[in-house]
Amino acid sequence: MKRIIFISTLVLSIICFACGDLLNPTPVDLITDDQVLTDANSARVVLTSAYRDFANLGAPKIIAGDMTSDNLIHNGTFTQYREISNKDMSASNGSASALWGVIYSMSYIANFLYEGLPAIEIPQSDFDEITATASFLRAYAYFVGVYTFGGLPIVTSTNVEENRVIPRASFQETLEFIESELLYALDKLPAQSFNTGEVTNGAVKALLARFYLYSENWAEAEKYATEVIEGNGTKQYILEPEFENAISDFSAESIIEIVYSANDNPGTSTNFSINNLFVGRREIIPSSEMVLALQNDGGARTVMLEFNGANARGSDNGWTVVRYGPFDNIQVFRLAEMYLIRAEARAQQDKISGDQSALSDVNQIRQRAGVPLIQGTSKNQMLLAIENERRMELCFEGHRWYDLKRTGRAETVMDEFTNNWTEKDELWPIPLSEITNNPSLKDAQNPGY
Amino acid sequence: MNKIILLLLLISFQLFAQENQMVISGKVTGIDGDPLPGVNIFIKNTTTGTISEFDGNYQLSVPESSEIMVFSFIGYTSIEEPINNRSIINVVMTEDTRQLEEIIVTGYSSQKKADVIGAISSLNPAVVKDMPLTGLDQALQGQVSGVSVTQSSGTPGGGIMVRIRGNSSISSSNRPLYIVDGIPVRDGGLSTRSFGGQNDNALATLNPNDIESIEILKDASAKAIYGSRAANGVVIITTKRGKVGAPTTFEIDVQRGIIDPTNTIEVLNGRELLQLQREALINAGEDPNNAGIPGVTDAIDTDWQKEVMRQAIVQQYQLSTRGGSEKTQFYLSASYRDEEGVMLNNDFKRGTVTTNIDHQPSKRLSFGLNMNLARTKNNRVKGDNFLDGVYNAALTSLPYYQPYDEEGSLYAPGDAGYAGFPNFNPVAQAIEPRFDTYASRLIGGIYGKYEIIPNLYFTTKFSLDYTSTIEDQFEPTTTAIGGFLQSVGQQGYGIYSTTESSAILNSNVFTYNTAIGDQHEIGALLGSEFISRTSRSGSTVGILFPSDNFTYLASSGLILDGSSFLVNSGLISFFSEVNYKYRSKYLAKVSVRYDGSSRFGEDRKFGLFPAFSLGWRLTEEEIFKGLKWLDDFKIRGSYGLTGNEQIGNFQYLATWGATTAYNGVPAVGPATLGNPNLGWEQNAEFDIGADIAFFEGRLQVIYDYYYNVTTNLLLSESLPFTTGFGSVLGNLGEVTNEGMELTISTVNIDKDLKWNTQFNISTNRNLVQKLATDEPQFSGYSTFTNSTHIITTGKPLGTFWGLEYLGVDPGTGDAIYFDKNNDGQLTADDGTFIGDAQADFFGGFTNTLTYKGIDVSVFFQYSYGNEMINFGNTTLLNSGEDINNNQSREALKRWKKEGDLASIPKYEFGNTDNNRFSSRFVEDASYLRLKNVTIGYTFKQQVLAKLRLRNLRLYASGTNIWTLTNYSGADPEVNSLDGSTTAQGLDLYTFPQVKTVLVGLNLGF
Repeated sequence: MKRIIFISTLVLSIICFACGDLLNPTPVDLITDDQVLTDANSARVVLTSAYRDFANLGAPKIIAGDMTSDNLIHNGTFTQYREISNKDMSASNGSASALWGVIYSMSYIANFLYEGLPAIEIPQSDFDEITATASFLRAYAYFVGVYTFGGLPIVTSTNVEENRVIPRASFQETLEFIESELLYALDKLPAQSFNTGEVTNGAVKALLARFYLYSENWAEAEKYATEVIEGNGTKQYILEPEFENAISDFSAESIIEIVYSANDNPGTSTNFSINNLFVGRREIIPSSEMVLALQNDGGARTVMLEFNGANARGSDNGWTVVRYGPFDNIQVFRLAEMYLIRAEARAQQDKISGDQSALSDVNQIRQRAGVPLIQGTSKNQMLLAIENERRMELCFEGHRWYDLKRTGRAETVMDEFTNNWTEKDELWPIPLSEITNNPSLKDAQNPGY
Repeated sequence: MNKIILLLLLISFQLFAQENQMVISGKVTGIDGDPLPGVNIFIKNTTTGTISEFDGNYQLSVPESSEIMVFSFIGYTSIEEPINNRSIINVVMTEDTRQLEEIIVTGYSSQKKADVIGAISSLNPAVVKDMPLTGLDQALQGQVSGVSVTQSSGTPGGGIMVRIRGNSSISSSNRPLYIVDGIPVRDGGLSTRSFGGQNDNALATLNPNDIESIEILKDASAKAIYGSRAANGVVIITTKRGKVGAPTTFEIDVQRGIIDPTNTIEVLNGRELLQLQREALINAGEDPNNAGIPGVTDAIDTDWQKEVMRQAIVQQYQLSTRGGSEKTQFYLSASYRDEEGVMLNNDFKRGTVTTNIDHQPSKRLSFGLNMNLARTKNNRVKGDNFLDGVYNAALTSLPYYQPYDEEGSLYAPGDAGYAGFPNFNPVAQAIEPRFDTYASRLIGGIYGKYEIIPNLYFTTKFSLDYTSTIEDQFEPTTTAIGGFLQSVGQQGYGIYSTTESSAILNSNVFTYNTAIGDQHEIGALLGSEFISRTSRSGSTVGILFPSDNFTYLASSGLILDGSSFLVNSGLISFFSEVNYKYRSKYLAKVSVRYDGSSRFGEDRKFGLFPAFSLGWRLTEEEIFKGLKWLDDFKIRGSYGLTGNEQIGNFQYLATWGATTAYNGVPAVGPATLGNPNLGWEQNAEFDIGADIAFFEGRLQVIYDYYYNVTTNLLLSESLPFTTGFGSVLGNLGEVTNEGMELTISTVNIDKDLKWNTQFNISTNRNLVQKLATDEPQFSGYSTFTNSTHIITTGKPLGTFWGLEYLGVDPGTGDAIYFDKNNDGQLTADDGTFIGDAQADFFGGFTNTLTYKGIDVSVFFQYSYGNEMINFGNTTLLNSGEDINNNQSREALKRWKKEGDLASIPKYEFGNTDNNRFSSRFVEDASYLRLKNVTIGYTFKQQVLAKLRLRNLRLYASGTNIWTLTNYSGADPEVNSLDGSTTAQGLDLYTFPQVKTVLVGLNLGF
C-alpha cells in the first residue's frame, strides 16, 4: 500500500510538470529561419532589413569620403576617428569593420531572398520589385565597398561554409558584378515611390551614372545623368531654388535618401549617430581648409557650418558641421550631383562650353548657391572647377576622398593638406578580424597595412 | 531502475521484531548545570529514541535487551552511555570544540560534519555579524578558503564578484548557485541599465542577519547533486528557525555608523595644472595664450573629489523573535537598513520581513513555511566609464572651474562659465538626475515532510523566488544626457522600466537512513525537481519635457522607445545520492543528477552529472586510537562532473528578429546563426583533502587540493563578416583551474582569557587550454594594440595585453616601448603580455580574544600577486595627449628637460604615442587589508538579571580601517567591469571601498 502511494506520488509529480512546455518554451521576439519567408509581405519585411543596412551605411560612408580626405578632422576621443583623420588607420579600425560588415550583412539578406523567394508563390511583379530593390541596395553597398577597400569577396549565397573562406575578387570583377546587378534592377522598379526613402528606377539610373563616371565611361555617365535630369518626358526631379532646402528631408531634388526617425537614431545608444559625432560630441569637426573654401566660394552652402568662439582652443577651430540635425535624413543621390556628373562627363568629352556643356551644368549649381558663374575655360581648368564645385556642393555627403582618388588628384591635394598622406591611404584596410577569420584573405590585405 | 531501488528500500524495513520494553528516564544538563532541551536520545543502532524536554528531562521506553544509550546534540560531544539495567540515567554534556557532531546542510539533506567527505566549508554568520554587511555575499570575503570575493566598488548595494575555485567559464556566468532554504535564488544585477560598468546586486535584498548558517559546496562530490547549475560551486544558506522547546526570546539589533572613502586620488591644483598644460602646449609648438585656457592663477581651485563626496551614515535596525513548543516553532524578524553612499545622492535603503514557521501535528508529519519579503530602494549615480559619471568626472574635472556660479546655482552643460565637452559638472551629475531602482522581492516556500515508515521521509516543497524591479529615471536639462545631447532633444530624458522575474520550484525528495547490523550505515536520497522561470519586462523612454519640473513620462513630448519582453525557461531534474559508512571508518558517497534544460538544442537537452567520493577516518583505526593528541584524521577524495547552463535562452536556434523599422516599415533581420548541437559546459573535478583535529580541537587543519577541467566551453567562434554574421556559438573551449586550500583554526589560550585564531589561504591557477581557434580573443577596453585583455591558450583569464613600456628617453622625454617585431615602428603588432589579474594566493585571518565579557576580533584580508590596470591613468596621467582633464600628482614626476631621468614621459599636447596603453599603466595590486576590528562588551548575568534582560552587548566596529598596498589608484579591490571574467583587474575611475565605523547594540530578552 505504502509503496503504491509512494510511487504514485512520484509519478504524479512528474506528469504534472513535465506535461507543460517546461523544456520547450517559444521565444517571443524571434522566429526560426524556416518561418521567415511565407508570402510577399514577409519578403518585404525582410527587404526592410536590407534597407536597415543601407541606413547603417550612411554615416561610415560620410566618414570615409569626407574624413579620409581634407574635409573633416577629428576633435574627440575615439581612436577610430582619430586614426582616419590622421591618415594612420589600423586594420582594427572600427569604422572599417562597420562599413565592411554592412556590405555583407546586406549580401546575406539579398541572398536569403534570392534563395528563398522561388520557393514561395508570389506574383511576378512582386518578385521583380523585391529582387530589383535588393540588387540595387547590394550594388550600392558593393560600389561604396569596392572604392573604399578595393576588390571585394563577392558573396552570392547564404552558405556559411563557403562564405567563410571566400577569396577577394579583383577590382575589375567586383565592378562587373555591380554593373550586372544594376542592369538587372534597371527598369524593374516604379518611377516613383511613396517617398524618396525607397529605391526607384531613378535611383538605379543615378547609381549607374555615378558608376560610369567612376569607371570613366563618359558617354554612359552622361546618358544616365541626363535620363535622371530630364526624366521620362516630364521632369521628375527639380533643383530646389534654395540650397538650404536641397539638403532638407524629402526635397524636390532628392532621388534617394536614407530616412531616419527619432526611433532609429537615439542619441544615447552606443552607435553614435552622425549628428552626435558632428554636433553633440563634436567628435568630428570641419577642417579649417574646408571652412575657408566654403567661406570663399560656397555662398549659400556655408549654411552647413556654424562657429562658436567658446570651442576654439588648441586644435579645435571652433567650427561645427550643422548639416545634419538630430533625426535628419542622409541624402544619397540628389539632382545636383547628376548635374555635376554630367558636367564632368561632358568636359571629359570636350563639351566644355556652349549648349549642353559642362559649363551650363556647373553654373546651374553655382547659380543656386549664389556664387559668381564661371566663364569659358580650358578642359583642365574646367575639370578643376568641377572638382571644386563637387567639394562644396556635396561636402559632408561622403564624396571628396572618392573624387580625388578617381581623378588621380589625391596625392597632390592631400600632400598639401597633411604630411601623413601616403599611397596606402587611397584604400582603407580590410578589417583585421576578416583577415584572421578567413584563411583565403590571409595575404590579401591592402598594401601598407 | 528507480523503482527497484525504492522497492529494496521498502523491503528492508520489515526486518525488525518486537520484544519486552522497559522505561528509562533522566535529565540532561550542560556543564554549568543548566538543563539542555532538544537533545537527541536514542538506543544505539536502533531507531528507538526521543528528545529531551524543556527542563532537560526525558523518558524513553526501550527494549530490555538495549545496551547503549546515545545522547547527541549539535555543538556538544556525543555521549554513549551503557545502560547496565539502570532506569534513571542523568548525563552532563560538554561542548565540542571540534564540532564533529555539527550538522552540515549538504544540499537536499544534511550530514554530521564527521561524515562529510566532500569539500564543504561552513561559515557561521556570527563571525561576521558585527560588520556592516549589506548582503550575504559580502560575508564570504576572506572567511572561506577557495572563495574569492571582490566588491566591485564602494557603492552601497553594488555588485560583488564571488568566485569559488576560480573562473571555470569564459563566456557564461561564473557566479555560484545560491540556495536559500532550498530555493535557488536570483543573483547578479537587478537593473537593466548600465551604469558605466557597475551593476547593482540582487543578493542585497536579503538581510544577512536572518541567516543561521552558510555552507559552501566546493568539490564535485558536494555539488554534483545540483548538476547543471553547480559548475561554479553552490552556496547554501539556511535562515534562522525556531527550536523545539525553546522559550520565546526577542532580540533587538541596532547598528549606526559613519562612512568615509578609504582613499582619495591626489590630483593637481589649479596652478599646477595650468603650468603643466602650458608646458604641454609649448612642447607641442603651440601658443599657450591662444589655446582657450586661463593664465596661471590661483583664483579658483576646486577640490572636486571633496565636492562630490560626503561623510555618509549607515544605520540598521532589527527586531526578531523566535521560540517553539513541542509542536510549533517560529522565527520572525523585521529589519530596516539605510546606507548612504559617500557620493552625493547615492543611497541604499532596505526593509525586510522574515517569517519561518514549522509545525509537527503528529510524530510523522511536519510542515512549514519560510518567507522572506524585502523592499529596497537604490538611488544610484553614474560612474566608471561614463563621461557623465560622478566620481570619474570629479577626478578629471579641471580645478580652475567650480561647480556653482555666482548666484549659487549649478553650472549646466553649455554654460559659459564652465568647461565644454567632454567636461560635465560632476556635482550636477550627482545631484540633478534621478536614478531610483526599486526592488520588491519575495522568497517563499512551503514544505511538507512525512515519515512513511521509520526513517523513510518524503519531503515535498513548493517555492517561489519573485523579484519586481522598477527603474524610475530622469535626467533634467542640467545634465549631460538631458541637456547637452542634441540628438536627445536637450529637454530632459526619462526612462521608466519594470522587470518582473519569477522562478517557481517544486521538489520531491525521499530520504532514508538505516543501519545494517552495527557496522554498516546507509543513507539514501532520491528526488525530482522542476523549475519554471519567467521574466517579463517593459521599458519606456521619453524626451522633450516641457521643463525640469515635469520629470515623469506623462509629461514627455515624445515617447522614443517602448518595449516589452517575455522569456521563459525551465529545468527538469532527477537526482539520487547514496552515502555508505562502514564502522564509522570508511565512507563512500555516490550521487547523480539528470538535468534537462530548455536552454539547449534538441539533441543536447539532457545531461547526466555523476560524482563519487571516498573517505577514511584514520582515527577510527585501532593503531590511531591510542594517540590521545589526535582527535580526528580524515582523508577524502572525490571526482565528478557538473555543468553550467547559465547561457542565454534560444541560443541554439537559427533565428530572425525584429530590427529597427525603416521609413515606417517594420523589419525582421537575421539574429543568430543556429547551432543545434549546443550543449552544457562540463566541469570535471578532482579533489583530495584532509580534515585533522589535534589536542581536543585546539588545533584544526583542513586541506584540499583540486584540479578542475572545464570542457565544451561556450564560445562564439568568430566568423568573417562575409558569412553575414560575426560569430556562431559552439562548445569549443577548455579551461583548467588547479589550486590548494588550507584552513587552520587554533585555540591559543583557553582560560579566562580565550584567544582563537582562524587562518585561511588559497591558491588558484587558472589557464585557458583551448579556444575556438588559435587566434586569441580580446576583451576589456579598446586600446592601440586591440584591447586591454587577451584570452589565449596557456594564459589565465584576465591576462593583460599592451605595449611593454621601457621607460622615458632622457634625451627626448618620449616613452620607449619594446619593439616586439623589430620593425622600428610603433604598431599594434608590438602588443605583448603585460600582466594578469590572478592572485598567487589570497585569504584572511581572524584573531578573536574574549576576557570576562570583553571581546575583540581583528580580521585581516589579503591578496598577493594580482595586478591591476590603472586605466584611469590613461587620462589622469596622459602626457598631454589632451588638456581637457586634470592630472594625477604623479605628473609632477614627468620628464621636463634633456637629461632628466623620469618615470613619466614629457607632456606634449596632442602626442598620442607617449600615452599608448602599455605596462606603464599596470601595477601590482597585492594588498593586506585590516578588514574589520570589533570590540564588544557583553554585560554579566547579574547586571542582566536586574535589568530583566537575557543578553546585552555593546560593540564598536570598524571596516576597511587600514590597507597596505603599492597600488597607486584609489583602491586595489575594485573592478570597473563588475562581474566580468575576461576583463578582470581593471580600474577605470572605480569608486573605492568605503571605511565604516559603527557602534552596535544587541539586546535580548
